[in-house]
Parts: sequence; C-alpha cells; structure tokens
Amino acid sequence: MSEVHGGRQPVSCTVKPPVYLQIGESKAEPVQSGVCVVDVPLPFGKPVSVEEITFKNYYTAYVTVRLLRRPSGQDGPTKWVTALRDLPLMDNPHTERGSQDYFSIHRKQMLVEADHVVSVRLILRQPSSAWLTFSLEEIKIFPHTEPEPLKEVSDWLSDLILVDQLPDVEGLPDPHTVSSSIQQMWALTEVMQTNQTTASIGRFDVDGCYDINLLSLT
Amino acid sequence: MADKEKRRSAALPSGMSSGKVVKSDSDREFLEQAGVGDLLRGAILKMVEARSDDPIGFLADHFCNLASVTDSGTAGCGDEDQQQQSAGLAGAGAHEQQRLNRALWHLRLAHHSQRSAFSNNVRVAYDLLNLNGCLSQASENPEGPDGSLLVVPPDAEGSGGVKGGLYMQTLECLCSEGGVPASTSAPLLRRLCCQDHEAVPYDVFRHGVLTCAVFSDYIRQAQRLYAEVCCPDEGPASRALCSAVLGTLKEALETSQDCDANCFVNANTKSSACLEANAKAIRYLEASAKISPHKLAQVMAGAQTSGPGGNMDAKEFENAAADLFIARVKVVS
Repeated sequence: MSEVHGGRQPVSCTVKPPVYLQIGESKAEPVQSGVCVVDVPLPFGKPVSVEEITFKNYYTAYVTVRLLRRPSGQDGPTKWVTALRDLPLMDNPHTERGSQDYFSIHRKQMLVEADHVVSVRLILRQPSSAWLTFSLEEIKIFPHTEPEPLKEVSDWLSDLILVDQLPDVEGLPDPHTVSSSIQQMWALTEVMQTNQTTASIGRFDVDGCYDINLLSLT
Repeated sequence: MADKEKRRSAALPSGMSSGKVVKSDSDREFLEQAGVGDLLRGAILKMVEARSDDPIGFLADHFCNLASVTDSGTAGCGDEDQQQQSAGLAGAGAHEQQRLNRALWHLRLAHHSQRSAFSNNVRVAYDLLNLNGCLSQASENPEGPDGSLLVVPPDAEGSGGVKGGLYMQTLECLCSEGGVPASTSAPLLRRLCCQDHEAVPYDVFRHGVLTCAVFSDYIRQAQRLYAEVCCPDEGPASRALCSAVLGTLKEALETSQDCDANCFVNANTKSSACLEANAKAIRYLEASAKISPHKLAQVMAGAQTSGPGGNMDAKEFENAAADLFIARVKVVS
C-alpha cells in the first residue's frame, strides 16, 4: 500500500542557530573555517523515525548529516552515526548554481537506518571565499508515518459488525423480512440494469448515415 | 438391441420367420426416417426446462405448436394467388395472433433467472414473430398480401426484425400475465416503445422482454413488501414508514449506480480491469449495507418519530416502487 504523502506534518522542533567553527586560538581575529554546524534536536522523549529532511539552501556547498540514535528504548545509550557524508548542494562552490535551491533527503538515501533518532546535526561546508555567510533555511524533518487504512471500507463494514442492539421495534414490521424483500427488489433492478443493451432501433438513421443530400430534402 | 440382433441371426438360418425380420427392420427404419428420436428428445428437453405442473397439457401444446409451424411454413410462402388474397387478409390477422400466442407460450416456459433456457426461448419467440422471409416472398406487389406494409430497411442484416406492433403486444401481454396492472406498466412500456412501422432487432426485443419479465417480478415483490410494511389490523401503512423504506432502496440503487457510471470501458480502463472490478465489488457491498436489517430497523424506528404524516395506500406504494425501477430503464431509440 502506498504511503500518503500529502498532509504529512513535520516534527515540531526548534532549529538551533548555526554555529560557525572558527580557526585560531585567539578570539580577537577569528578566521572563518567555512564549516558551520546546525543542530536540530527533536522533541524530548519521543524518538522519531525520520522519513525525510527538507531544507532550502543558502550558499552551502556540502552538507553532512549526522544522527543521534537511541536504539534501545528510553534511557539507553545514544550514538552518533553519519547518515550522509558531504552531499554536494552546489556544483561549484564558487558559482551560484544550487546556491538557493530546495533540497530533500529521503531516508532511503541515508547510509544508516534513520530510526529512534533523538537529534539531527547538519554540518555545512563552504570552502569558497566568495560566500562567507552560508546556511540552510526552512529545515523540516518529516517522520515516518504508518499508511492509513482504507477508511471507506471499514466505516460501513464496522456498522455491519457492531450490531450490538437492534433499536426498539415494537409496532414496526420485522426488519428481517422487510430487508429481504428490499434486497430482492434491489437485485431485480440490478439484473435489469446489467442487461441493458446498447443496440438501437435506428429510429433516426437514414440508411445508417446522414447523407447531406437527404438532409437537404427534409 | 442385442436381443434383436440375436433374433435376426437366429431367424435367418431357420428361414421360417423371414416375414418377422423384415418387419422389425422396417420398424426401426421407419422410426429413423421419421426422426421420431429427435422429436421425442426435443420434447423431453423442453419439458425438463419448463417443469410445468401439467405435463400432458404441456406436451399437447408443444406438439400443437410444432404442427402449426410446419403448416405455416409451407402455406405462407406459396400464397400469391389472387383468389386467396382476400381470404389471406382476414387470415393474416388471425395468423399473426396465432404467432403471437405461440411466441408468448415459449416465453412463459422458463423464468428469467434461468439464463440459458430463457435466452433460448427468447430466440425462438423472436424467430417466430420475425417471419419476414415468407412475407417478403409473398409481397412482390407493393400493397402486400396482408395489407399492412412492413418497411424493411434496405441494408438490414438478416430479415430486418419483428414488427413494432407485434413487439409492443408481446410486452403488454407479458406485463399483464405477470400480474402488473396496466396503469403501472404504462410508463415502462412508453420507455420501451417502438412504433408499429419500425423493425425491432433481436437485442432490443430481448431487452424489452427481459425487462418486462423482471418488472413483473419486481411489482409482485413490491406488493408483498407493502403487505409486510403495513400492519394488517390497522389498515393502510403510514406514509412516513413507506417513504423511509423506499428511501433505503433508492439509496442502495444510487450507490450501486455510481459504479456503473464510473466504470466505462475504454482503452484507458482496460489495463485496470482488476481495479475496476474491485471498485464495483466494493460499491455493491456498500449498497447492500444500506439495506441490511440493522439499517432498516434504524430507518423504520426513525420514521416512527419523524416524517410526513398520513397514510399511503397500496396503489401509491406500488407506483412509487415502480418509479424507482422505471427511472433506470433505458429508453429505446
């Protein structure tokens, strides 16, 4: 059964502000390293199976996705794994192409199973000196949803099954006999309908066609 | 058989009872020539199909029909003599009536639910009523021997079709024999109507006959339903109750009709025939859920408290039920 993609909701989480890593000991002259880390912690206590991560690029050349997983229940140990390493977002870090595109990373593209994820870390790299400021915008993480069962069938089918109590039928005709009569009438009408023929008597046909000469005479 | 062989071989050497040998031979030959085996086989098959209560009467009718078929086959085609034309005029009307009666007899043999038997009978009845081969031979002068023009379209396949008037008479008889009053069947016959001068092809004939047969069953069922719905002591049934009950039938019909409307066969849907069939099955299940006893009990209980006041008599109920059916009959054109 195919999953329903429309109407899915991203996990509500707050994206932490990007942290630009800097080279150099002293705080006086920070040198941009071209690496930035964005952490997206998922809601506490609810590990998520990640279906998809979408974002809008802003001049990031490469992105690495790391996941913090807690595979064994509530208080088990967590482990960082790399889901994607150096995914190129821009063809050429110096040029514009892909610099402001929308991207989507599906769980199938990841190197590991994105289950029981507690936190997501995106490591952005932009080696070009042309773009000193770079980031990702509109980061959304979509959880893996179970496919919805067919509502139509189960709706009225459960009506049939949940016959706990027939409503009070005093003074009313027996529903079983009435129902069986109606069912027969319904079946008879269906028989008639399925045996309808598309054959016509050709009432308005003139020799089977509408000859222009004949039409002009009438 | 073996006995006969033995007797024959025993008789030959003795030479004494040569007369007897000739007789038993000629008996068998005679039976074979007359085709009696086929005749009797046909009669027994017909009887098994029809399962009538009166086997002797049935067999008598059957052989009577066969006899008149062979009679008219030889008489009709040779009827071109001037002297016989005036007699033919009067005789043709009675002749037509006779054909109609025979066709109706065939149509009565099997119930429409016995699919193959019913179809066979419809075919036989159609061929009976469609004796154009003989008529066209006889009508070399435009007036025709029996006065009524049979307009055969020039490019008709086979022999054109059954006369519209005969077709309508067949349908009227079917309806009235099925217990449907004329006023109830009138709207149905209007939908299936064919003009007297039109030639009705087999498919249209079959559709009309089947519809009338099903309709008479439907009306009988509706009459039974009314008897169930109205409490016998209290006179006519309440209008609210009747409307509610017929409303469930209408809903069920509309639900299953959706699938007919949606599932048109064209090149695109051929590949998804399986899906189509599934959708249709689900629609049918859904429709049947609307007329389950549980649902009906709910609807009837609801009708008790709310709904139009007053009573509905049997005739009105029957007409309302008939409307539901007739609305779904395709108009012949």
